[in-house]
Amino acid sequence: MNPIGERVLERCKRLGAEDAEVYLSRGTEFTVRVYNREIESLVSAESRGIGLRTFRDNRVGFSYTSETDPDALDGLVDDALLNGRYNHADEANVLPVTQPADPLAGLASPALSRVEPQRKIDFALEMERRATSLDPRVRRVSDAVYSDGTGEVEIVNSRGLQAWFARTVAYGVLETIAEQDSEMQSGFAFTHGRDMEELDLAGVVQEAVENAAGLLGARPVKTATVPVVLHPHAAAMILGVLANSFSADAVIKRRSLLAGKLGEQVAAGIVTITDDARLPEGLASRPFDGEGVPSRCNELIADGVLKGYLHNTYTAARTNGQSTGSAVRSFKSVPEVGVSNLVLKPGVLTREALLARVDNGLHVSQLTGLNTVNPVSGEFSLGLTGHWIEHGLLTTPVKELTVAGNVIALLKRVVAVASDLRFMFAGGFCGSPTVLIEELPVGGL
Amino acid sequence: MPLLDQALVDGVIKRALRSGADFVELFVERKRNQSISVEESKVQRVSSGTDLGAGLRIIHQGTVSYVYTEDLSEGGLLKTADLAAQVGRRGGGRFAFGDLTGAPRLPQPIEVPPHTVGPEAKIELLLEADQAAREVSGAIKQVAVGYGQSAQEVLVATSEGVHHSDSRTRVRLMVHAVAERNGEIQTAMEAPGMQRGFEFFDDTSAAAYARTAAERAVSLLDAAPSPAGSMAVIVGNEFGGVLFHEACGHGLEADFVAKGSTVFTGKIGQPVASPIVTAIDDGTLPSRWGTLAVDDEGVPTRRNVLIQDGVLLSYMYDRLRAGQQNHPVTGNGRRQSYQHLPIPRMTNTFIAAGAHSVEDIIAATPRGLYAKKLGAGQVDVITGDFVFAVTEGYLVEGGKIGRPVRGATIVGNGPRALHKIDMIANDLKLAPGTCGKEGQGVPVSVGQPTIRISELTVGGTGVVAPGTMRP
Repeated sequence: MNPIGERVLERCKRLGAEDAEVYLSRGTEFTVRVYNREIESLVSAESRGIGLRTFRDNRVGFSYTSETDPDALDGLVDDALLNGRYNHADEANVLPVTQPADPLAGLASPALSRVEPQRKIDFALEMERRATSLDPRVRRVSDAVYSDGTGEVEIVNSRGLQAWFARTVAYGVLETIAEQDSEMQSGFAFTHGRDMEELDLAGVVQEAVENAAGLLGARPVKTATVPVVLHPHAAAMILGVLANSFSADAVIKRRSLLAGKLGEQVAAGIVTITDDARLPEGLASRPFDGEGVPSRCNELIADGVLKGYLHNTYTAARTNGQSTGSAVRSFKSVPEVGVSNLVLKPGVLTREALLARVDNGLHVSQLTGLNTVNPVSGEFSLGLTGHWIEHGLLTTPVKELTVAGNVIALLKRVVAVASDLRFMFAGGFCGSPTVLIEELPVGGL
Repeated sequence: MPLLDQALVDGVIKRALRSGADFVELFVERKRNQSISVEESKVQRVSSGTDLGAGLRIIHQGTVSYVYTEDLSEGGLLKTADLAAQVGRRGGGRFAFGDLTGAPRLPQPIEVPPHTVGPEAKIELLLEADQAAREVSGAIKQVAVGYGQSAQEVLVATSEGVHHSDSRTRVRLMVHAVAERNGEIQTAMEAPGMQRGFEFFDDTSAAAYARTAAERAVSLLDAAPSPAGSMAVIVGNEFGGVLFHEACGHGLEADFVAKGSTVFTGKIGQPVASPIVTAIDDGTLPSRWGTLAVDDEGVPTRRNVLIQDGVLLSYMYDRLRAGQQNHPVTGNGRRQSYQHLPIPRMTNTFIAAGAHSVEDIIAATPRGLYAKKLGAGQVDVITGDFVFAVTEGYLVEGGKIGRPVRGATIVGNGPRALHKIDMIANDLKLAPGTCGKEGQGVPVSVGQPTIRISELTVGGTGVVAPGTMRP
């Protein structure tokens, strides 16, 4: 067993804890940011931390530290036990009784640690160089970053759990500036993978350039009621807003707009949403959750009907249910309930075929103000940027439009889902294809 | 007790200098946190923890390399210094770094260090607040209250021989109330905080803040959907300053300015706002959320006038950008923790008070939206385009405050809105917040008096009133 974990568990037992759980994380980071053909900054580091939960008389105590010397570890135990004395007693405060998780292959790329730092620097420089040579209107890059990291998680508990996994991630982020006359537009794109080799350099450059240049000349349009097409990234951002409402903890505390709707039609029949922590391409994939409970694919909305909520061990015990393996945490926090890879199931239509259904409508590439959505009522009022659609093709860029409504009402108005699934970090690793929503009133001039 | 022995600090810097670096800086941090939350009227969580680590920054010509570690033993730090030297890349740029000037200030005085107060007193405070919120109305169905404290000690030592330290103690209360009636749900929150010890609660009533949040959540149940369209918007004081912070403040940070990626680049000495607007970033204000004795590069903080009578006077700098742009340091080099590089950040940023009373402004507004409280928002720093939620709003009709509205957002462009500020009240107040940039969150204050923007787009769920349409 991990010697730190063993030492901590031993002290917990000696000082009267009935149960205890030690969560250890270790990680490395390499990030290079370039500007004007030079390295602007380079970060390389290793980090670590330990979180401890103790259980006594149905009370949970928690503390964390980044120190590993014996005094600090003793203090960690003492603090958790002391903190636990003040928490209310709840029979649902228990450790999971769990089977060992099936391993999940492919989460970590051993090759990543062998990539020379110079190649990573060159990747960032090359992103910047190509981004400023594709389009005469894009001559500047405001941000070009290559970053990668490894993360290891180990959980040991007094019920004999010893679980470990490692994960790697690499990504490139690019933000370009397009200029024409006195107008500036920014364009953002990113590429991700388990390894530098999986990154799509040409793709990220092209997308960042197109996103910026494509918005030049954007202007407001008149208020209209038209069909709205959401780019996969915009749709994924809306999924991200919905994410917390699937949490049983939010449901129990009346902070979910899906509370009390189990078995009800909450979306159009074409909408199926899963949270799949074992998705091969999912950057949030993991063999087990923050309490060591094996991960699985959870069906949340099937054909528009709400099928279930996400649980950790606590919310499961409180509702006489089963943990869905959805405990998320860092070493600095107790296990909360959260999504992993939240996916709107793609359909069979190509993006082009979906757009072809629209004679006159709006394609939304950016939504602003998503963090202003009321998470409880689902009410929103958002800013929209994108393009007008004429006869299935994107034409004039448009900006400063607003749309107001309710997330649930929006889900019920989805009329088509394309096949072009793409992912985005949005409060989880959220994936969606292009989505067509029937007529919405869009506020403009 | 010093965070780290001086001889060790000097040894680490000397070791890292062996790589031929132009500059080496060691940042050491210890941060002790405690948080307590009460939900469903029960103590749900008492948590505590310590972050301890060091970050070593070395600069070769124009290139910055950074390494951090949690291992503060002599062996661990020297290994980190060697790693820093090894990853350090010789850039082609020129080494330029802002001179560290000014005398270090004293840390904010703390009367009752929060760690000397047991959890009992904090829990009592929270339970009182919980009860006060619930007593406001039967419509209050859920209340969450929280208490947080942090004590951060930092040490900044550089190869120039600088050795500065700071100690930052913060306490904060959070109240979140949910009101529900006939299936309608509305929420409201209050989160006061200061850089003070537990004595903060001698003159701050947790119960009063809880009642305020609960009353607002209940009143929103009766609010009508906000109309949409273009209209005059009166933005309330205190957290209303988030609008300036997000839509203009970030555009005045020297890293964005240097890349020419903000509309304020090259505009020093030019009018960028209505002549009645003066905006200030002041890291020295007593006890404020974003106040620092020295910033996270060891630079003593100061009062920086950003915009004076509508004319742009200064950007906000860290040492690196000050050097590159040949400008004196301003004390705005900040980082979330030892795991992060310092970058230009705001401290306490606000629009200065004007001459009007709030009543004057409302009486002078034939039709508009009074956005008394703003909530979350989003901004594109490059363009200054913003969207903010209005969490407490009223229609203004015929110079009088009318019915409450909900679900409103204000949409616009920061630099353009600055020119459209046509009235400023005398009720300046600041509010605490956490500002995020490049993945780093730092504590700041935002603030302003009540201001009027002559024309702004309002998004809302209500029907667009015929009068608001424009060609």
